[in-house]
Amino acid sequence: MQQYKKTQNKLILVLVGLPARGKTHISYKLNRYLNWIGYKSEIFSIKGAQQNNDQLDQNIDYELEIDPANQQFVDVRQQLSFTAAHQLVNFLQNDGDIALYNGLTSTKLDRQKLKSLFKEKLKLEYQVFWIESICDDPQVILNNINESKLSRFKEKTIEQFMNQINVLAQDYESLENIENLSYIKLINIGKLVKVHMLEGYLCSKIVSFLLNLHANNRQIYLVRSCQTEYHLLDKIGGDPELSATGKQHSQQLGDYFIEELKGNKNITFFTSQMKRGIQTAEIVGDKLGIKALKTKNLDEIDYGICDGLTVKEIAAKYPKQIKERKANPLEFKYPRGESFLDVIHRVEPIIYEIERSREPVLIIAHVAVLKCLYAYYHCNQINEIPNIDIPINCVIKLVPIPYHCLESRVIIK
Amino acid sequence: MQECNRSQKIAICTVGLPARGKTYISRKLNRYFNWLGYKSRVFINGNYRREICGTECNSLFFDPNNEEAQKARSDCAKMALQDLIQFLKNGGDIGILDGTNITKERRHQIESDLKSSFNGIQTLWIESICNDSKVIQNNIRLTKINNPDYCNMDSEQATIDFLNRIKMYEQIYKTITDDEDLSYIKTMNVGADIIVHQVYGFLLSKVVSFIMNLHTYPRPIYLSRHGESQYNVDDRVGGDSDLSELGEMYADKLADFFNQEFPTKEIKNEIIFLTSTMRRAIHTSDVVAQKLEIQPLQLKTLDEINVGICDGMTYTEIAQKFPNDFQERKINKLGYRYPRGESYLDLISRIEPVIFEIERSRQPVMIIAHQAILRCLYAYFHQNEIPEVPTLDIPLHCVIKLTPAAYFCDEKRVMINPQTGEISIKEEYVQEFIRSKSKQKSFIDL
Repeated sequence: MQQYKKTQNKLILVLVGLPARGKTHISYKLNRYLNWIGYKSEIFSIKGAQQNNDQLDQNIDYELEIDPANQQFVDVRQQLSFTAAHQLVNFLQNDGDIALYNGLTSTKLDRQKLKSLFKEKLKLEYQVFWIESICDDPQVILNNINESKLSRFKEKTIEQFMNQINVLAQDYESLENIENLSYIKLINIGKLVKVHMLEGYLCSKIVSFLLNLHANNRQIYLVRSCQTEYHLLDKIGGDPELSATGKQHSQQLGDYFIEELKGNKNITFFTSQMKRGIQTAEIVGDKLGIKALKTKNLDEIDYGICDGLTVKEIAAKYPKQIKERKANPLEFKYPRGESFLDVIHRVEPIIYEIERSREPVLIIAHVAVLKCLYAYYHCNQINEIPNIDIPINCVIKLVPIPYHCLESRVIIK
Repeated sequence: MQECNRSQKIAICTVGLPARGKTYISRKLNRYFNWLGYKSRVFINGNYRREICGTECNSLFFDPNNEEAQKARSDCAKMALQDLIQFLKNGGDIGILDGTNITKERRHQIESDLKSSFNGIQTLWIESICNDSKVIQNNIRLTKINNPDYCNMDSEQATIDFLNRIKMYEQIYKTITDDEDLSYIKTMNVGADIIVHQVYGFLLSKVVSFIMNLHTYPRPIYLSRHGESQYNVDDRVGGDSDLSELGEMYADKLADFFNQEFPTKEIKNEIIFLTSTMRRAIHTSDVVAQKLEIQPLQLKTLDEINVGICDGMTYTEIAQKFPNDFQERKINKLGYRYPRGESYLDLISRIEPVIFEIERSRQPVMIIAHQAILRCLYAYFHQNEIPEVPTLDIPLHCVIKLTPAAYFCDEKRVMINPQTGEISIKEEYVQEFIRSKSKQKSFIDL
């Protein structure tokens, strides 16, 4: 509920865990999600502090390097961790809402120091929630190293990483109830989850979100419903049916997906409850041998009083609204209709479904709704949403990978 | 309404000593599932036992060394499970087995019976653990009140007997361990600690969120419609009209009422105050907000039902212009969707996040909204069946105070005369209703 954010205390999410446990991945995904639902959220980490510091050797991984004899590394890591914490405090003191911290948190002492720092420096109401990622499945750890560490530090081998992690593991202290912290422990990517002293609306939402995360890199296909009469007449909104051309295109879309999905019938398939969505999905679904789930959450943005009018008619009848929309396209609400912010809110449950799904996801919906979904994976700021290009007869394929999202677009002729 | 993903049957089994809130959790979940449109039912071991072995069982019946009694109880449990399996086979979506299930053997037996009866079934075990004696005492007090086992004993005797019964169970209680390879949720001390193990799937993920936010705090929920609006006067539907003169007077008197209801500043600041984004509701809320010095949150989710192409018409005009739709709506008011608008089922789906939020809150909730939307909210907390929703009576100029508790929901209606400020109160207690329901072996929607 976006309006709740105005009354929310500042929130600090602290990540705990050995290297190659997915902390960065979790913080990245959470940060993206929180910004998408309207909070001002940022990540503060040792890596981040390092990258901002030109005087340091960027080829050294200060999170991992541990040579008990080399006090210099230990000192630098402490410094960076400290810097990140200070930047975090600054951010929240100003207009930040939520800060994620990925620094030194592996021992009880580290955590106590961090808590004290926040208490001392933050001059407003805040809440801290601790997120620990634990993993004892060697395969998962191996995958993590392969995907995230090797690309950054090419001179190292996997053995070197594993050895360094094992050294760090000796001093590592998992979160314990006596520390009196509100936390969630994610063990082996959500196979086991422990939650302690959960409090508050936002933390509750974050826990629900985290429960659905996994590390499968599956494809997400976003497609608009095909051509309708309204397209030909340049009208917006309405609930028109597919034109003859639209039906043809839907057939071609179906053919494309037959090849693309290679017989996989376990995909997550959603569409809206609007006629054009349902019809497109039926034609595609028939070809694939699967049925789409119809949800009103994917219905096109409600154009209110402008529904069914052509672009020219709107310009003539409601010039004031056109001006307002130009000035602030993200928050502009069609009178008796919706704004993009309303659509984001409406579409949020679908994001959960997509995140949860470990199989490919196919969504057939409409321009404004797809802009919002696309933005979740690609945009860093939601005010970019109104300008996103979602052409018709185009399949947008997104593959989220650690810290990133691959995209490819295919025009169906 | 959103199509539910009905691909797999689901069986949920509770685990825990008596007076740990298992039945409470079962009922709440059952309510929630039925509300979302699933066919869900609870099967209570205890009720089977009562029906077959009678209600005169004292704690010795529960002695694990009492072989005869053990066999009888085991048979009853088997029957409950069989009925659950039958229910799922005959079109049910979710079966909830409400029992103690405190031994590994029993759990293993149930899990394999379930898995072997279906080609693909999701099972979920919910264990409720509680070491807080205050909470347990409170639960015993509530359980005792509703428990037919004790209707012939005096209250002190009953408590002693019940505590002895718990001791019998404690002797053989084994908490769920990971090597049992079960999907489970453990909730400890009313949600202070929660453990989730191998729980996957759309609905089960929702169950986890639901359980994390469950509590037994008896906080009040105040529901009121906006004051009379211009459209109300003209008998029109939809629109975004403002308040009539009478409506403004109501807003004033409503503010006075709430000011009395929440006497201190501290209490006022705790209120969760929600309204819609429509003029008539905002106007009403603003008057209240000013008096109480608190701010309402405007949620589009609470906007009135969207009447699509009928927006702004009177019922007579609708009957004339769209006679077929008018008829259709009369026959199926619940499912009928206004063209380009919504149906009651859409509304029910739409308000799910709000219901979740209210369930979660432990502070008083105050909602100023509209007729159709309040019908849905009211129905959920007051435990009405879904088909009743479109015809529930939510009149103008009336504050409905609901206090949902563990096994029932109290209701108090305060009719406020907008001109004179005169108040007339009607109260309703549902305890008798619950007592009669708890005697059934299973129930669909409580």
